Amino acid sequence: MSEDIAIRVRGLESRFGAQVVHQNLDLDVKRGEVLGVVGPSGAGKSVLLREVVGLDKPTAGTVEFPFLEQAGRAPVLGVMFQDGALFSNLTVLENVEAPLREHTRISPELRTEIASLKLNMAGFPPDAFYKKPADISGGMRKRAAVARALALDPELLFLDEPTAGLDPIAAERFDRMVQELARSLGLTVFLVTHDLDTLYAVCDRVAVLYRGKIAAIGPIDEVSKNAEGWIKDYFSGPRGRAAHAGATGG
Amino acid sequence: MAEEAAAFDLVENDRAPVLALRGDWTVDTIADVEAPLRALHVQSGAAVDVSQLGRMDMAGAYLIERTLRAAGSSEPAELAIRGDHANARRLFEAARKATAAPAPLPEHPHGWRGLLERIGRAVAAVGEEIIDTLSFFGQTLATLAGLIANPRRIRGVSIVHVMEEAGLHALPIVSLLAFFIGLVIAYLGARILGDFGATVFTVELVAFSMMREFGVVITAVLLAGRTNSAFTAEIGAMKMRQEIDAMRTMGIQPMDALVAPRVIAMLIMTPLLTFAATMAGLFGGLLVCWSDLGISPVMFFSRIADEIPAQHFYIGMIKAPVFALVLTVIACKQGLSVGGDVNSLGRHVTASVVQAIFMVILLDAIFAIWFLEMNL
Repeated sequence: MSEDIAIRVRGLESRFGAQVVHQNLDLDVKRGEVLGVVGPSGAGKSVLLREVVGLDKPTAGTVEFPFLEQAGRAPVLGVMFQDGALFSNLTVLENVEAPLREHTRISPELRTEIASLKLNMAGFPPDAFYKKPADISGGMRKRAAVARALALDPELLFLDEPTAGLDPIAAERFDRMVQELARSLGLTVFLVTHDLDTLYAVCDRVAVLYRGKIAAIGPIDEVSKNAEGWIKDYFSGPRGRAAHAGATGG
Repeated sequence: MAEEAAAFDLVENDRAPVLALRGDWTVDTIADVEAPLRALHVQSGAAVDVSQLGRMDMAGAYLIERTLRAAGSSEPAELAIRGDHANARRLFEAARKATAAPAPLPEHPHGWRGLLERIGRAVAAVGEEIIDTLSFFGQTLATLAGLIANPRRIRGVSIVHVMEEAGLHALPIVSLLAFFIGLVIAYLGARILGDFGATVFTVELVAFSMMREFGVVITAVLLAGRTNSAFTAEIGAMKMRQEIDAMRTMGIQPMDALVAPRVIAMLIMTPLLTFAATMAGLFGGLLVCWSDLGISPVMFFSRIADEIPAQHFYIGMIKAPVFALVLTVIACKQGLSVGGDVNSLGRHVTASVVQAIFMVILLDAIFAIWFLEMNL
């Protein structure tokens, strides 16, 4: 049972001074699933992501990676930050090579080839490999950031607002790419988003973060059907209905 | 379960050769098999046996895919896979699909040509920089003139804020430094003039050098390091985060809102800091004269009043606003030239400080020659 859980969060509490962001939060992410985390602005979605990947330490509670720990492997995480967070003094290709350079003994040629492969998988155009992050568009930066997150072949991929700031067509392409990557690489994806289309298109399950707890979790249809309060407003607002209609082909 | 080393056997029996994989083929383990695989000559149509394969990831799949593709036809055909594996087929497929032509390297001339090209570009850049800075200087003067004509556009709060941050907060360090310089000059004077039995002239030496040169130069060099870097970094970060573009769209001119307050604040504060520095330097000299040479403070000051014409004090002070203007203009100009990336921020902060110190020394030399020729 427990070996199927990729990420297990128990009793998480986050506090900044008097402000309580999470309180007694429990969350399980199954291995191989794409979990979408939604919630109102300021609900602590990004804080949760930062605490799960270990950038911030929660005030209380634990974050474990049961599957990988059982297999005796150190968790390799790939993280894509909201604005890409590419190293601005390196070219895009060098950005993707950077983790390989730091953590493996692969020869420079193969390293470049693997980095190119990852960029291709992320749909990044080959003629822009040698550009600096400042010289490419926001959508391209996101693709490059995903490629860099995948550089070390992580089993856990964290995406923070991957489609924010993309036009609908680019966002849809990005969704499809994430889905394809997740399926072909067997990734477990932890996806923080506001984009309802992304939720319907990509996520196996959705977790709603509201008032410091996971207010609902499950397949999106279940969550939206049994919704109450804020969750209901969220899914049955005009945007929610449109996204649902788009997803069901209606 | 630790990682198992990657290994392979090439089995060539009756028909097509088979590449039998063993162990884990991940990004951490494939470094060792990379060279042997490259040296391997596989005939076309080879198959892969994955029944003994441990874990595999994209990097491993790519390496195998590449080896077999290099041997086989140029047309990337689907790999013949033998045996069962959890995700091998999927990964080979993904690797095959994403493999593209290797990216071409951008062309950069090397050797002598490259060197000459870089020198040429650097020289041209220096020329452009001089013209840009001069035109920015002119723009600043025009803005200041506009503010005098229309004083309601002056931003009092910003000015006072900069005066506090860059002026008042610099007072302790400027005074302390000038105090030590005064101390050192007095010791030098006591030592060298003592050889001629003219130790009493130490007072003149300290007063003359602190008032005319060191008070203002020390202040300016310190501000060049302290304030210029801060101004350039502030404005540069605003530029990077598009705050300056936002200002422009609101009809707020960065020259009015960012540059003018800083220039005005520094025009006010630098002379005050210079005065403080001069006094601190004199105090340092006074302490040495008193303790080492037995010149009492009363005698020290009366000697300054009798022997040092006031013009020396004014010559020092008149340089302060000139330095202030030049420093702040350089800082703001460099800040507004910052581009989109972090590198350019670092480059422009460096340029700001280096240019500022350079200009302080250069202008001081010009002033020195000018005043001496004028017999002042």
